[in-house]
Amino acid sequence: MKIKFIVIILLQTILLTCIIAYRQYWVATGEKILLKSAPVDPRDIFRGDYVSLRYDISSLDLDTIATKEVFAPKDKVFVALQKRTDGTCGALSISKTMPVARKAFIQGRALGETRQSSWEVEVKDDSGTIHALKPAWFEGSKIGDVVVFCVDEKNGVINFYKNDSPYKPSCPTQRTITGSVESITETKKRFLNVEYGIESFFVEEGKGRVIESSRNMGDLKVGVSLRKDGKGIITGLIMGNTVLK
Amino acid sequence: MAIADKDLAFHRRLKAEMDFWVNEHIITLSQKDQILARYTMLDAADKKTAPGKLITTISILGALLIGIGIILFVASNWSQIPRWGKLSMIFVSMFLSYGLGYYARYEKGNYPRVGAAAIFLGSMIFGAGIFLIAQIYHITVHYPNGVLLWSIGIFPLAYLLRFKTILSLAITALLVWLGMEASFWVPGFSFGMRLAFVTLYCMAGLVLWMVGLMHRGIGPLRTISSPYAILGLVLAFSGGYILTFDVFREGMGSPELLVFYLPMAGIFLSAFIIYVLTKPAERAWVAESLSLLLIMAILLYLSLSYTGFPHLYRGYREGGVPFLMQSVANLIFAAGIIGVIFLGYTRKSIAYINVGLLFFVLLIIARYFDFFWKLLPRSLFFIAGGLILMLGGIILERKRRQILASFTAGRSES
Repeated sequence: MKIKFIVIILLQTILLTCIIAYRQYWVATGEKILLKSAPVDPRDIFRGDYVSLRYDISSLDLDTIATKEVFAPKDKVFVALQKRTDGTCGALSISKTMPVARKAFIQGRALGETRQSSWEVEVKDDSGTIHALKPAWFEGSKIGDVVVFCVDEKNGVINFYKNDSPYKPSCPTQRTITGSVESITETKKRFLNVEYGIESFFVEEGKGRVIESSRNMGDLKVGVSLRKDGKGIITGLIMGNTVLK
Repeated sequence: MAIADKDLAFHRRLKAEMDFWVNEHIITLSQKDQILARYTMLDAADKKTAPGKLITTISILGALLIGIGIILFVASNWSQIPRWGKLSMIFVSMFLSYGLGYYARYEKGNYPRVGAAAIFLGSMIFGAGIFLIAQIYHITVHYPNGVLLWSIGIFPLAYLLRFKTILSLAITALLVWLGMEASFWVPGFSFGMRLAFVTLYCMAGLVLWMVGLMHRGIGPLRTISSPYAILGLVLAFSGGYILTFDVFREGMGSPELLVFYLPMAGIFLSAFIIYVLTKPAERAWVAESLSLLLIMAILLYLSLSYTGFPHLYRGYREGGVPFLMQSVANLIFAAGIIGVIFLGYTRKSIAYINVGLLFFVLLIIARYFDFFWKLLPRSLFFIAGGLILMLGGIILERKRRQILASFTAGRSES
C-alpha cells in the first residue's frame, strides 16, 4: 500500500507541476500586449480578494467595427487588435474565424449582443441659443416640450425633467439649461459583450480597493501574454509607475 | 500489554453479541457476567477513553482549521511572499501532511485517527494548491476545471485508503463542479432556468445513490458505499421536494445540458447493471433499484421534453395540467418517503429512516401551508399547525425510538 500511496501523491504533485509549467511557458513565450482597463472589486469565495477587470474591448460596437456576422452567446470570437499611441491595443475587427494575417489578435467568448441607444437632443433656451446635449436616455419627451437639464462643467447631462413635471430632481452642480426641445436624434447601436478569460486579477486582501481608487485618478493598463491561438493570460497590472504581478 | 483500538472494538462487539446469546438462551445471564469478568480491563479502558468518533471529529476539525489557516495566511501576505515561496508552501505542507498522516496511521500506527485527519488535510491542501496556482496566474474567477481536478486528484486516494472523509470531499467537489460547469452551458442563465438545475441535481443525487448501491454490491467497496448513498439520498430528496411545489408551468431542463444528462444516464445505467450482476442479497433491492430507474427516466423526460404549460392567466390551484403534474409529483415523493422508511426499517439503516422522516415532516409542512393558508383564519391556521406539528413530533419520536430500539435488539447490518 505504501508504494501505491506514494504513487498517488506523486501523481497529485505532477498534476500541480504541469499546471504551473504550462502557465509559465505561456507567460514566457506569448506575444505581449497592453490593454486598457477599468476595474471593480468584488470578492471570490475561494481566492481572497481580486480585482474584476473590464476592458474597452469587453463591449464591442459592432456598427463601428463593421461586421456583418451574427454572434450567439458562447461563440468563440477573434478580435484583431491595433496598437494605439499610448501603447494599448484597441479592437480593429471581429470574426468567428481565426485571422490569418500576422496581426495581433485575442480570442474570447461572446456573451451576447445588446442594443443600446445613444441620444442627441437640441434645446433652444430663452435667449435663442441652441445647446446640443447628449443625455444617457431621452424618452417620454417630444419636440416642443420645455425641459430642464442639470449639467456638469462640460455640459454632460446629469439629470433632466419636464418643466411641468411634479417630480423635480435636485441638481448637484446647480448648473441648469432650460429650453424647448428642437430636435431629438436616437441612434441605436449593436454592442457585443465578450469575455476573454482575463477578467480577474488577484491581489492581497483589501488591496483591490486601492487599485480601484487609483483607476479613478489615472489610467490602468493590463499586460497580457497571447498564445498562438489568441488566448490571453495576465502578466501584470500597470498603474502609473507601479507594476503588480 | 497495551490495549489497541481493535481490542476495544472486540469488547463492544462481544457485549452486543452476548445480549443476543442470552435472548436466544445460548448462554445464561451468569455465564455472560463470567465471560465479561475476563475483560474488566477492557471495560475500564473503554469507559475512560474518549469515544473514537469524538477523536475523529476533533481531528478532522483541527485539520480543517489548519487548512483554512494556510489559505488565509497566503491570502493576507500575498505581496510579501514571492511566487516560488507561495508554491513551496503548498508543496511542503502537502507532503508534510500526507507523510506525517501516513506515518501516524500506518507505519507507527499509534495515532490512527489523527493520522487519518492529517491525510484528509493533505487532500485539502492539494485543492488549495490548485486554486493558489490559478490565483498566481490570474486564471479567471469561474474556474470549474480547478474543482474537477481537485476531485479527480483525490478520488484514487479515497479508494486506496478507504476513507469516507476524502470520498465525501471528492463527491462534494464533483457536485460543485457540476453546478459551475452547467451554468456555463446554459446561455444567459436566468431565473427561468433555476428548475433545470433542480432536475440536474436531483438526477445527480439518483446517480450517486445508484453508485452507492453498486459499491454495496461489490464486497471490497462496501465500506465506502455510504458517502455515495447518503449524499445521493439527501440530494435526490431535496430536488424531489422542490418538484412537489407548483413548478410545472415552465420548462425543467435545457437541451444545452444534454452534455450532462447523457453521461449521467450512462453512469446510472452502468451502476445499475453492475449492481444487478452482483446479485445483491439485500432485502427489497429489486424494488429500490427499479424505482430509481423509473424516477431517473421521469427526470430525463422532464428535462428534455417537458416545455411547461405557461398559463399565466390561470390562478393558483385552478386545475389544469400543471396542477395534475404537481399532484403526481407529490404522490411519487410520498411513495418515495414511505419506500425509504420501509427500506431503512427492513435493512436497519438509520440514515434511510432519518432522511425519510425529515422529508416527511417537510412535505407535511409544505402541503399544510399550501392548502390551509387561505382556507382558515390566520390565528386558527397557526394554532392548528402548531398542534399538528407537536403531535406529529411526539408520534415520530416514539416511532423513531421504537425503530432504533429494534435495531439494537436485532443485528445491525452496517
